[in-house]
Amino acid sequence: MTLRLRRHAFADTRPLMMAIVNRTPDSFFDKGATWQEDAAFERVRSVVDEGAEIVDIGGIKAAPGEEIGPAEEKARVVDFVARVREAFPELVISVDTWRAEVGDAVCRAGADLLNDAWGGADPELVDVAAEHDAAIVCTHTGGVTPRTRPYRIEYDDVVRAVIDDTLGYAQRAVDAGVAPESVLIDPAHDFGKNTFHSLEVTRRLGEMVATGWPVLVSLSNKDFVGETLDRPVGERLIGTLAATSVCALAGARVYRVHQVSETRQTVDMVWTIAGRRPPARAIRGLQ
Amino acid sequence: MTRIALVPGCLALLPEYASVIDPVSELREAVRTAADWLGTDATVVGGPQARRLGASVLAGGARATTGERSYLVVGNGSACRTEKAPGYLDPRAEGFDKLLGAALAGTDAAALASLDQSLARELWADTAGLSELSGLLDGARLVGIDYDGAPYGVQYWVMRWER
Repeated sequence: MTLRLRRHAFADTRPLMMAIVNRTPDSFFDKGATWQEDAAFERVRSVVDEGAEIVDIGGIKAAPGEEIGPAEEKARVVDFVARVREAFPELVISVDTWRAEVGDAVCRAGADLLNDAWGGADPELVDVAAEHDAAIVCTHTGGVTPRTRPYRIEYDDVVRAVIDDTLGYAQRAVDAGVAPESVLIDPAHDFGKNTFHSLEVTRRLGEMVATGWPVLVSLSNKDFVGETLDRPVGERLIGTLAATSVCALAGARVYRVHQVSETRQTVDMVWTIAGRRPPARAIRGLQ
Repeated sequence: MTRIALVPGCLALLPEYASVIDPVSELREAVRTAADWLGTDATVVGGPQARRLGASVLAGGARATTGERSYLVVGNGSACRTEKAPGYLDPRAEGFDKLLGAALAGTDAAALASLDQSLARELWADTAGLSELSGLLDGARLVGIDYDGAPYGVQYWVMRWER
């Protein structure tokens, strides 16, 4: 099914790169590298050059920390979204927020997609997406409160829980008036999940893809990669790309990433192995 | 009137070997021109793989045959023109291709018939269809050379004749 992210439509044969752009002083991977607005803008320019179709702008880190209210979150992202919208009309702008109030403001500023990493914690977010004809990412968190860590959470069947919750959320979005072709589902690795859960979700991602909803995966440099390989944050690219390969083979459509060109190459390679994309330029043995 | 065209047995022309960026775009265009000129009912001349390629090339044709006979001959020169060529660099390859190219362009049926088949095999040349071509070219005239090059160490020609 064609995926529509507000004004932007993408055929289902095409995997998409969503580049993370943090307007935060304390996110785990870049540690505030793009906290200054001009640095964040340069990051956008750079990922566009690398071929990212989507930027995911976030004003609050996922991990617990200093409380950031809606006013401060808006101050961090709304004007920035407007600036990016004006400079890059063809770019899909996603905003990583769980708050309806923030979602409304960024959609007015030109955002196309609301990436709710916290599984619908604010029930009005779907109404905002519907009102603006924006797209929405429906994640699974196991019902945890935003910005909390998982603690002794267990599931009878984590993939069953992921599918039930994300599809329930997707249905809520459609019932609220969000266009069905503008709804994505995301298992949300590490959110409400220990490493074993995230590994199982990766291994069984094909079950999510089989639901027919386009699947977004956010694997980039996460703790389940770090714990699996015993690597600190700066040394998780190889593990991230290995997990990316597994998700690509299963057919994930959107990849939320720090490293765009590395992920693009990985996904293109797997997509081609899967027979969904031709090689870039094959002549060896065929002359 | 009989129409005859020669195209190389380059497998990159087949749709199942398509790339995002076509490595043989100019060749493909020349082959397309020749196939359209022949019509979709042309008889393909060459070995089994060549016949598969020929059938594929003709299947995409834009024009039905108008009743006259036409032949699509599949064959090419050496595959030893450079170190990166499939058969590696053979210093005899260039001279071989020059002679063969001259015979084709000169519609020299006798020269084609007396082609050194053992040298052709050593140079990985695809000449199975060319001996039949020599018979077809008797009394023919060259209509055009649409392609003459060895972009990947293999000598390709796209040529058209009629008689």
